Amino acid sequence: MKKLKVVMFLALAGITNCLLAGHAEDDWSEPVKPYRTGQILFDRLEFTRTDNDADLIVWDMLAWYGGDRNRIYFKSEGKNERGDGEPSELESAEILASRLIAPFWEIQGGVGTRGSMASGADRENYLVFSLFGTAPYRFEMDNSFTVNEDGDIAASIEAEYDIRLSQVSYLQPRLEVNAALTDAESHERPSGFNDVRVGLRYRYELSREFAPYIGVYWSRSLGNKADLIRDQGGDESETGMVIGVRMWF
Amino acid sequence: MEKPIKPGRRRFIKSAIGTASALALARIAPSWAYPTGRSYGDVIAADNAVDLLIRRENLDIGGRIGRPITINGSMPGPLIRLKEGQRAKLNVTNGMMEDTSIHWHGIILPENMDGVPGVSFPGIKPGSTFHYEYDVQQSGTYWYHSHSGLQEQLGHLGPLVIDPADGDIGADREHVILLSDWTFEDPGEVFRNLTVAEGYYNYQQRTLSDTLADIRRQGLAKTWQERSMWNQMRMSARDILDVTGSTYTYLINGRDNATNWTALYKPGEKIRLRIINGSAMSFFDFRIPGLEMTVVSADGQPVKPVTVDEFRIGVAEIYDVIVTPKSDRPYTLFAESMDRSGYVRGTLATTLGQEAAVPELRPVPERGMAAMGMTHEMSRDTGDMNMPSSAADESGMAGHQGHGGKMGKTQQRPSAPDLGIEHASGGHGPAAAMIARNPVSRLNEPGVGLEDVSHRVLVYGDLIGAHPWPDEREPERDIELHLTGNMEKYMWSFDGVKYTEVDGPVEFFHGERLRLIMVNDTMMDHPIHLHGMWMELENGQYPRPRKHTISLKPSEVVSLQISADALGSWAFHCHLLYHMKAGMFRVVKVS
Repeated sequence: MKKLKVVMFLALAGITNCLLAGHAEDDWSEPVKPYRTGQILFDRLEFTRTDNDADLIVWDMLAWYGGDRNRIYFKSEGKNERGDGEPSELESAEILASRLIAPFWEIQGGVGTRGSMASGADRENYLVFSLFGTAPYRFEMDNSFTVNEDGDIAASIEAEYDIRLSQVSYLQPRLEVNAALTDAESHERPSGFNDVRVGLRYRYELSREFAPYIGVYWSRSLGNKADLIRDQGGDESETGMVIGVRMWF
Repeated sequence: MEKPIKPGRRRFIKSAIGTASALALARIAPSWAYPTGRSYGDVIAADNAVDLLIRRENLDIGGRIGRPITINGSMPGPLIRLKEGQRAKLNVTNGMMEDTSIHWHGIILPENMDGVPGVSFPGIKPGSTFHYEYDVQQSGTYWYHSHSGLQEQLGHLGPLVIDPADGDIGADREHVILLSDWTFEDPGEVFRNLTVAEGYYNYQQRTLSDTLADIRRQGLAKTWQERSMWNQMRMSARDILDVTGSTYTYLINGRDNATNWTALYKPGEKIRLRIINGSAMSFFDFRIPGLEMTVVSADGQPVKPVTVDEFRIGVAEIYDVIVTPKSDRPYTLFAESMDRSGYVRGTLATTLGQEAAVPELRPVPERGMAAMGMTHEMSRDTGDMNMPSSAADESGMAGHQGHGGKMGKTQQRPSAPDLGIEHASGGHGPAAAMIARNPVSRLNEPGVGLEDVSHRVLVYGDLIGAHPWPDEREPERDIELHLTGNMEKYMWSFDGVKYTEVDGPVEFFHGERLRLIMVNDTMMDHPIHLHGMWMELENGQYPRPRKHTISLKPSEVVSLQISADALGSWAFHCHLLYHMKAGMFRVVKVS
C-alpha cells in the first residue's frame, strides 16, 4: 500500500513535471534578474572666495541611471557670482548615453548647452563625446570633446586623485585643462590651450554619502586666451579658497 | 542543541523507530541552540513531517530590534534533524508578502525539490505551502536557506543535520555552530552601495601613513614598485571582503558577542562541533584557543581525521570537528572575519555563565602578488626582483623566510595536477578587470592573513576522503570556467558574462564523468557551489574529498571530478550573496 502511494506520487510528480517543463517554465521568474540603479553625485558644491573678493557658488555634478554596461548620464557644471546681478553661468549641461568599453572606461556621447542661464540668452549648443573612467594609478578622469553648431571644436581634461589620509579623510588634487582646436571668437575660445586650473581639497566623510571639504585653487589663462583677457583688462590668473561638500544619494 | 549520545539513548531511539512509526525520525530538535536559546521559540513537529512557517517579524538581535525573516519564529530557523534512509517531508508555508523558497544545501535530491526559483520550481507564493519530499540518501551536517532575492541576508536560513543510518555520530555529545552575518541595513541598499560606491564598507584601506611607514622600512624604490603594481591595476590590496564588520553584526546561532552563546560539555567527553558558515558575505577563521580540533567531515562528507588549531571556512562551507577538552574550564569559540573587521565568539563551558579570554583581532591582512597571478619568476620578468614580504608569504614561500618546518610540511603534501591555463588574448571584456596571468594551484596555502600564524591551519590539501566514492572512472572531458569580476562596477560573472547575458546552460551529459576546471581571474576569494551533484576535489589525495562548495583564492586554478548523475537543471554559482545577485550564476543542465 505504502509502495503504491509512493509510485503514484512519483507518477503525479512526473506528470506535473512534464507540464511545468512544457509551459510553466516560461512563467517562472529568472533566478537572477537584470539590475539597474542610479546615483546623483555632487562632486563639488562649494562657496568660492576669489583673490578679487568675488563670492561664487560653484557646482559640478552628475547623475546616472542604468546597469553596469549601459547608462544614461546628466552632467552639469556652473557658477553664480553673488551680488553681480547676473543669472548663473552654465559651463555645461549635458545628456549622454554611456557604454562600458573596458573595465575602467566608459565612452559617452550626447548633447549639451552652455552660457548664461538667463531666459532668452543665446546659449551655445553642442555635441559632446567623453572618455570617462579611472586611469592607471587611480586617476578619476573625464576627458571630452565638444563640437558646436558652428563646427568649433573644444577639448577638456579633468582629473582627480584621492590621497587617503585616513579611512574617512582625503587630500584631493584636481587638474582641469581646456583647449580649443579651432578659433571660436564669439565664445572667447581662441585656438590653442585656453586655461588650466589646479585645485587641492581636504575632504572629511561624515558618512560615505556626505563629505564636507575645504580647499584652494589656482587658475591661469594660457596662450591667445591670456592675450584676449589682458586686452580686456582682466586678470590672467586667479586664486581662491573654497568650502563645500561632496555628496551623493 | 545539546545531545549527549549514550548507549541507553540509542536504544531508546531504535525502539521509538520500531514502535512509534518513525515519530522521532524527522523532527525539529527542541532548543537546538540550547542552553541560552529557549526564549527564541522551539517547535517540535508532531508528525513525521516538518512544518516550516516563513515570516518577516521584529526580533531582538544583539540588543537592538531588527526585522529579519524568521522560520517558525526564530532566526536562524530551527534545526531540522533527519535520518539517512528516511523519506523527508517538509512543508514550507510562506507567511510573507513576497515569494520565497528553501534550498537544501548539499542534499542530493530530485531536481524539482532543490528549491531554486526559476531553475527547479516557480518559488513559493505568499500564503501558499510547498511540500518538499525526497529520499534522504546521505548523512552529515548541512544547512538550508532561501534562494529568493536577498532573503538569505535577512536570516532566512537554518541548520540541517542528518543522522547516519546506524545512529553513530562518533562522539558523546554534539553542538551545531551556525555562523552568520546580520545587518540592520536593507540588503537591497547594501547591494546598491556596493554597486555605486566601490569600497563603501571597507574602512581598512591603506592610507598615506601606511605608505610612509613602508618607505621608512624598505625605502622609496621598493615601496614605489609595490604600490605602483596595485595602482596600475586600480585595485586595492586590502580588498578582502566586500561587506565588513562596519555594517555586520556577526552571529553564532543567532547570538551576538554580548549574549555569548554557550555550549555545555563534561570534561573527557568527545564533542562533535558542526560548524556551518551560513553568512551572506563573510569568510571566517575559526579556532578554539587552547583546544585542538580534529576535522572529521567537510561539507557533510566524512574525511580522514586531520588535527588542526584553526581553519578558514568559506561562505556555505561546513566542517565537523571533534574536540575533547580534558580540563574543567571554559573555552572561547572564536570566529574572526577574514578581513579582521570583526568577530563573533561563543563559549564552550561546563556550566552556564562562564567565559574565557577573547583573543584580539589580528592585523588587517594584505594581498600579495600571488593574488595577481604573479609568481616569483614573473615578477623577475617585470624587473621587480624584490617581492613584498606579504606576497612571498601568500604564495607559500614562507619557508624561505624562517618557517622551515612549515615549508617541509607543505612539500610533503601531494600536489594537484598541473593544468596549463592559457588565456585568449582578448581576455573577458569589460566585465573582467583582471586576468590571472599565471594561475596556479593554491590548495596547500592557508589563505590571506593566515600565512604567518604559528599553529596548524587546515588547507584543502589536507583533506582526504574517508573512503572512495562509487564512481571511479577517469573524467572523459574537461569543462573550463573562469571566475571574472569588475569590483569598480560590481560586475561578477563566469567567463566575463553575467547570468542575464548568457546564451544557455552549461551542458553536462547524463552519466558522464567530467572534470570541471575553474580559474579565479579576480582579486577576491569566491565560494563556488554546485547544486545536485558532488564535486570531488583533485587535491592530489586519494580518496578525493567531496565538496558541495569550493572556495577559490585569487588567481587560483582548481579541478574537480563530477559524476553527472542527476538529470535536470541545477544552479551553479558564487555563494557570496551579492556576487550571485550581480550575475555570478549559471545553470548546469544534465541531459
